[in-house]
Parts: sequence; C-alpha cells; structure tokens
Amino acid sequence: MAERRLQRAAAVLLAGAFALPLAAIVVRAFADAWRAPAIVPQQLGLRGIREALSGATLEALTNSLVVAGVVTAIALVIGWPAARVLGERRLRRPAPVFLLLALPLLVPSYATGEGLTEWFLRIGLIDSLPGLVLAHLVLVLPYVILVLIAAFGPPLTALEEMGRSQGLGTLSRFRLVTMPAVRPTLAAAAFLGFLVSWSEYGSSLAVGGGRPMLPVVLLPFVRSDPQVASAISLLFLAPAIGALLIASRASRSPL
Amino acid sequence: MSAALQCSNVTVSPAGTPVLRGLSLSVPAGSRTVLVGPSGAGKTTLLRAIAGLAALDDGEISIAGRSLHGVAAHRRRIAVVFQEPRLLPHLTVVDNVALGLRAAGVRRAERRRLASDRLAEVGLGGFLDRRVPGLSGGEQQRVALARALCAEPDLLLLDEPLASLDPNRREDLRRLIIRLQSERALTTLIVTHDRAEAAELGDSVALMLEGRIVQHDDPQTLFERPASAAVARFFGASNIVRGLVREGRLMVADAEIPAAGPDGHASFAIRPEYVLVAGDGALRGTVVEAIYAGTHVRLTIACGSQRLQADVRTGSAPGAGEDVRVDLPCEHLWRLPDSGSVSARG
Repeated sequence: MAERRLQRAAAVLLAGAFALPLAAIVVRAFADAWRAPAIVPQQLGLRGIREALSGATLEALTNSLVVAGVVTAIALVIGWPAARVLGERRLRRPAPVFLLLALPLLVPSYATGEGLTEWFLRIGLIDSLPGLVLAHLVLVLPYVILVLIAAFGPPLTALEEMGRSQGLGTLSRFRLVTMPAVRPTLAAAAFLGFLVSWSEYGSSLAVGGGRPMLPVVLLPFVRSDPQVASAISLLFLAPAIGALLIASRASRSPL
Repeated sequence: MSAALQCSNVTVSPAGTPVLRGLSLSVPAGSRTVLVGPSGAGKTTLLRAIAGLAALDDGEISIAGRSLHGVAAHRRRIAVVFQEPRLLPHLTVVDNVALGLRAAGVRRAERRRLASDRLAEVGLGGFLDRRVPGLSGGEQQRVALARALCAEPDLLLLDEPLASLDPNRREDLRRLIIRLQSERALTTLIVTHDRAEAAELGDSVALMLEGRIVQHDDPQTLFERPASAAVARFFGASNIVRGLVREGRLMVADAEIPAAGPDGHASFAIRPEYVLVAGDGALRGTVVEAIYAGTHVRLTIACGSQRLQADVRTGSAPGAGEDVRVDLPCEHLWRLPDSGSVSARG
C-alpha cells in the first residue's frame, strides 16, 4: 500500500517536472505584457504567435518539416536492410559496425557538421536542401537502425518461412507478414528519427547557414524576445506531439 | 492430387558442417511416413530442405517425378506445420487459415467459406473470428493444421506436431491427423523424436541416425526385427546379447539357450518386456536396479558379464540385490543381421 502511494507520488512529481516548464512556456507565449514582479501577465495576446508565424520563422518551420520528413523517409529505407542484417545476426563480427553506427552519436553534431561543411563547400552542397538532408541523415540513420534492429530476428524469420510454405511470393509476403510485424517498431524508429532531425542544431548551423532551420532561428530570440521564443517553442513542440500520437497509434495495433 | 516424394543422396550443411550426409528416402504417394530419430539427427533439416527453406549442397528432391531443384519454396505446393504454430497475431483465426488463398487472389467470401470448412474439420468451427492471442497451444496447433490443409498441398510436412501437448490432447490430435490424412490420401511426412508416437502415427517409419536413414519399414518390423543394434536400441530393444551359436543353441553367461540361425558368432536383440524372470529360467543373475515406472517395474539384472533389462509386472517384482532366474524366449530373440547386409527401404 505504502509502496504504491510512493510510486504514485513519484509519478506525479515526474509529470510535474515535465509539465511545469511547459506551462510556463504556454503562459509566456501568450503574455503580451508581463512586467516583474507580477506572478501573472498583465495582458494576454497573440503577438508572439504572429511573430513566430511570419517571415524567416515560417520559412524555417517549413524547412525543418521538409528536411525532417525527407531524412526520416530516407533513413527508414536505407536503415531497413542494415537493421535486418544486424537483427538476424548475420555478421560474424558486428562490433565494429555498431561502433561505426554509434560514432555520429558520440561526436558533437557541430563537429560532424563542420567536417561535412568542408566537403559540402567543395561539391556545392552547402546551404542547400540536399546538403542539410545529407548532414541530418548522418545523425538520424544510427538512431533509426538501432531502434529498427528490434523488429528483426528469429520470430519474424519464422513467420516469413511460414509465409513461404503457404505459397506467398515476395510481395505478398512483405505485405501480409513482414510489414504488419515490423510496423510498431518502424513507427517508433520514424518518430525518433523525425525528432532527432527536427531538433538538430549543430549541423543545421554548420551546413545550412543560409537556410534557416527552426532550432537555429529560435536561439537568438531566447535573449531578445522571450515571448516570441516561447511561441516558437510551442510550434517546435507541435509536430513532436503529432508524431508521438501517430507513433503510439501505429504501435498499439498488435505486433 | 497427392504425389510421391523422393529424396536421393541429399546433403545439407545449414551452418557449414553437414547435417544430412547423402540421405535417401522415398515416401510413396498417399502414405503417412514418419521420420523418427534422436534430437540432432537432422530430421528438421530434412523437412526444411524438402520445403525449400534450406539449400541442398548435393543430391535431389523430387515430387511426382519432377525435380524441385530451383523451385522457390512458395511454388512447391508443400505445406508445413511447424513445431510452433507460427500464426499471425494481427489476423483473426479465419484470416490466418486463408492466408495462402488471400495471396492467391481468391475472393473474400470464397476464402472465408473454404477456411471455415477447414476449421470445422479440425474441430474449431466456432473460432472463425476469434483472435490468435486468446487461443490455447492446442487450438493454435489446430489452426496451423487447418491452414496447411487450406492450401490443398501435394505434400504435407509435420514437424513434431504433438510435442508441445499434454498426453490427453495428443491422443485427440493424433486421431485428427490420421483421419484428415487418410480422407485425402495426402502424402504426409511427419517428424518426431518419440518412437511410440512414430509407431502410432506412421504406416511406415524411417529411422534417421546422424544424417542418414538407417532403416525404413513398417512400425512392427522396426520394433521387432531391427536391422542393427543401433536401430534395436532406438526402438527400445535395449538388450543386445552376443554369443556363439552352435547347433541351434546360444552360449551366453555360462548358460545355453535355444536360438535360431546358422552356427557362428551372432548378436541377438530382445525387448525388455519379453525377458522372463521366472524360477525355471536358464540364466542366473542378480538384480542390480529396480525402477518403478508406473505400468511396470524395470529391472536391470547382471548375469555374469551380461546385463539384461526386464520389464515385469508391478505386483511380483523382485527388489535390488535379489538373485533371480532369467529366461530369454527363443521366439522373441531376434538375430540381428550381420553388419554389411543391412537392409533398408530408404
């Protein structure tokens, strides 16, 4: 009994730790006038949202959405076969591959981005959408592969063998057996991949200097105009929550 | 629609080392053949090779005289019931059974009708729209059986179909398998490690040891006229008596007993249930171990250097340490063929 109560208290505390800063941002975003030492804003309004949805910020929002979407799609397509090989333990020495995969996660992304900038300048990819996609792919791919590995292995192979012995060709086997089994993990990998790209700051700054991305645009406002910064933060949050909802719905369908 | 299966000189090495070594086996059309052997003998590997799930290094597998070389697994018309049911958890029972029909483009109403007929046959008529996760292990295995039949295969492969069931359900599923198989005269190859199950399920039984078929006969022959000491041991004829035969009498452990066959050194096999422990037996021995096995007591008796196992009724069993007289009835003493003249239908 006491233990259950303690667990509940801990859960409430944890939820509060996440929710309170969020609540502060929501209030700040709609506070047109909020002078110290007042606890609540003197005047509520939409100035922050209007600023956040205008000019460079709107462009940054579109850029970030496009890059994150494209990067996630490519990462899933490239990551699938790699995750399959690793998940089915077909490599005799998987350790070096895992190290290579983890490398972009260990090196600060600004450093990775700077390294890429050198080359992108030479091959004309700097400040371009393909350049940003490539730079983000380097960081997103490891996450996607590492999550996707969980979908592959003996249980899936067993089902696919069953499909073969039931007369299912490659396509119908993929549609009726493989895809339904992989879908929840695929959704989780897509969710994580999207968010990694969406919130990527370092390489966006290094490679995409001329093209505004949402995290890059957000930062200057944090000092100069907290209300706009808060409003952008809310925009920042929107697709994340959307992706979370889609992912949780996709993973709820059994296996 | 049923067809004969022929495996000739099949060699398969799933992980580099050969598991099947030049195996040959023929399964006549419409027969129910059991492949039996200890675990690790390569039974499942052979099943996988026949189904097209494991590649051949050498040899040939053919159905109705047509080679399966280069034929993809999904085009072989061979249905497999795996050891685990391998059902798709996101589909209902009827959709699982109709999986192959769906891929073949059969209309929804038609495949539901066909699948529900198969489900009724396995005694799951009311399970059409149930979900897989709620089913018991036995029910799942029946769904897998219905799915295999739904594809109307030329050949049915069953891998340890009764292994995961408790004794009472085994009996039901065993009857069901035999009924469904004989109604269709469907060529069926069943894998098991259990010799009793092999005898109960098969109209012919092939014993596999270390990647080869060592004897292929009807069940009674395997149990009572084994081709070698290894076959005798696998089928429970655990007593191998070696000795010199002269003028119809076998010299064993300081005694002479009647035995058939020409003069010379020979090995005989006798099942423990045929060994008589009686006051007028020709052999003298001492009980070294008595194990209560529920339906009988298994005695291990030392007769000089010869060890014999005898199954006796539970009421009258002597205890360990007692001196007993043992008789080996001539009619149950099977003279093993000299090695080299081993016959097998394989």
